[in-house]
Amino acid sequence: MIINTDFIRRIKWRNFVYFAQETFKSLKRNGFMTVASISTVTVSVLILGSFLLLFINSNHIASHLENSVQISVYMKNDTREDQINIIGSEIAALPGVTEIKTVSKEEAMERFKKRLGENAGILDALEDNPLPYSFDVHVDTPERITEIIPKIQGMRHVETARYGKEVVEQLFQFTKVLRYGGILLICLMALGTLFIIVNTIRLTVFARRREISIMKYVGATDWFIRWPFMLEGITIGVLGAVLSAVLLQIGYGAVITKIQSALAFLPIMGKWPLMIWLWLLLLFIGGGIGALGSYISLRKFLQV
Amino acid sequence: MLKMVNVCKTYNGQEYALYNVNLHIKPKEFVFLVGPSGAGKSTFIKLLFKEINPESGDIFVNGININELEHDDIPDLRRLLGIVFQDYRLLPDRTVYENVAFAMRVIEAPSSIIRRRVMHVLDLVGLREKANSKTTELSGGEQQRVAIARAVVNDPKILIADEPTGNLDPETKWDIMRIFQQINDSGATIIMATHDEDIVNNLNKRVIGIDRGRVVRDQKRGGYDYQY
Repeated sequence: MIINTDFIRRIKWRNFVYFAQETFKSLKRNGFMTVASISTVTVSVLILGSFLLLFINSNHIASHLENSVQISVYMKNDTREDQINIIGSEIAALPGVTEIKTVSKEEAMERFKKRLGENAGILDALEDNPLPYSFDVHVDTPERITEIIPKIQGMRHVETARYGKEVVEQLFQFTKVLRYGGILLICLMALGTLFIIVNTIRLTVFARRREISIMKYVGATDWFIRWPFMLEGITIGVLGAVLSAVLLQIGYGAVITKIQSALAFLPIMGKWPLMIWLWLLLLFIGGGIGALGSYISLRKFLQV
Repeated sequence: MLKMVNVCKTYNGQEYALYNVNLHIKPKEFVFLVGPSGAGKSTFIKLLFKEINPESGDIFVNGININELEHDDIPDLRRLLGIVFQDYRLLPDRTVYENVAFAMRVIEAPSSIIRRRVMHVLDLVGLREKANSKTTELSGGEQQRVAIARAVVNDPKILIADEPTGNLDPETKWDIMRIFQQINDSGATIIMATHDEDIVNNLNKRVIGIDRGRVVRDQKRGGYDYQY
């Protein structure tokens, strides 16, 4: 299809006022249908948006964990500081190790407090620090891990060496499922929304078929006829998107609060600037589907 | 003004709605199109408006071969034509003025000339006083006059009327015919499809008879009297 740029020429200010009036009148005239379709669009976009947030977060968590493919080496509690330094340099000398960081008992405690967030108070009950010395060991590739771990395990004074293999793999699996399932669901939702808007606008078109036929007979251009309906579809789509974005923003805020208090270690994405992108995306999707829906509804009527 | 050369049109690919029609209507002519129902008059009108396209043959309106027009050029063709339907096709939720102004607004005429021009054509059809009435409050004859005002407000070269007096009582229909005559006098070509024997016989205009898709007669000053 060749994109017809005629419509740009057609949006003259005088016409725009006329189109806006027509759109408003039509939305008002079909009051019930307007409300019904805005609500349906809201629900669809809400589901679509929720999936998007779930998907973005699971992706975020997975890549966060992947990037931090690191081995945590915990030392036995009675290890002395000079022994720790020796072990540290031994680990650093292993092939594939790119970075090693010593975590003192105090640092470990600080980290733990941070994760607990508001609930850190429970640690005050401890008399001394039970956390061991440890190393954060980064390797160049995830595949290296399986060969390095036994070597570290075999060193003196090492209590255990661990990494979150299963968690990462499962999360990636989950993200994969979410990605394909999500894309499928988003497409279905978008199609459903499109269908609703097509039908709503079709009712409007049907109610105004006499007007359209007169317009055609007196020589109105297709775009002149189309614009009020396009604006109507866009308005319905955008209003639905705004409502769902508001609900999502409130809902996501609540989820963040909940997760931070219950699952503090989960690196969930913050509200900002995520919400700005979500708003823009949903408005774009709502408006786009609205415009497309109107375009489809009118196609048949404009062929004569 | 209007020329048809060997125009054929079928709807289902078998039966001809119009067959080998050759016509030449000059500017400022007043032509009656007569024939029984289903003879092809509606097809004729639809072809002029390029609502449908002929299978073969050429149609020239104002010197333009309309077969060669692109979809986007059709509005320009239609702005040369005005149409009046038997059932008026007015917008019931609007006033007389709005109905007529609508035809100008949708072809993007500047507001400054819309008012002047609409009042002018309402004068022509004698409805200036009723400009603010809803069309549903009008009699049949008045509604048809609104439809005529709407058809001529954009100053068409050809005015096409599809049985414009079909639903009107005798007195009213002569009012309507006087208006058509006036429009014709002011320079527009008029093509009127009609079943009204009385009108055709009294006005003594060119008569084109169509039957079963064929032009069966074309008389410079004819009457209605066809027997088939």
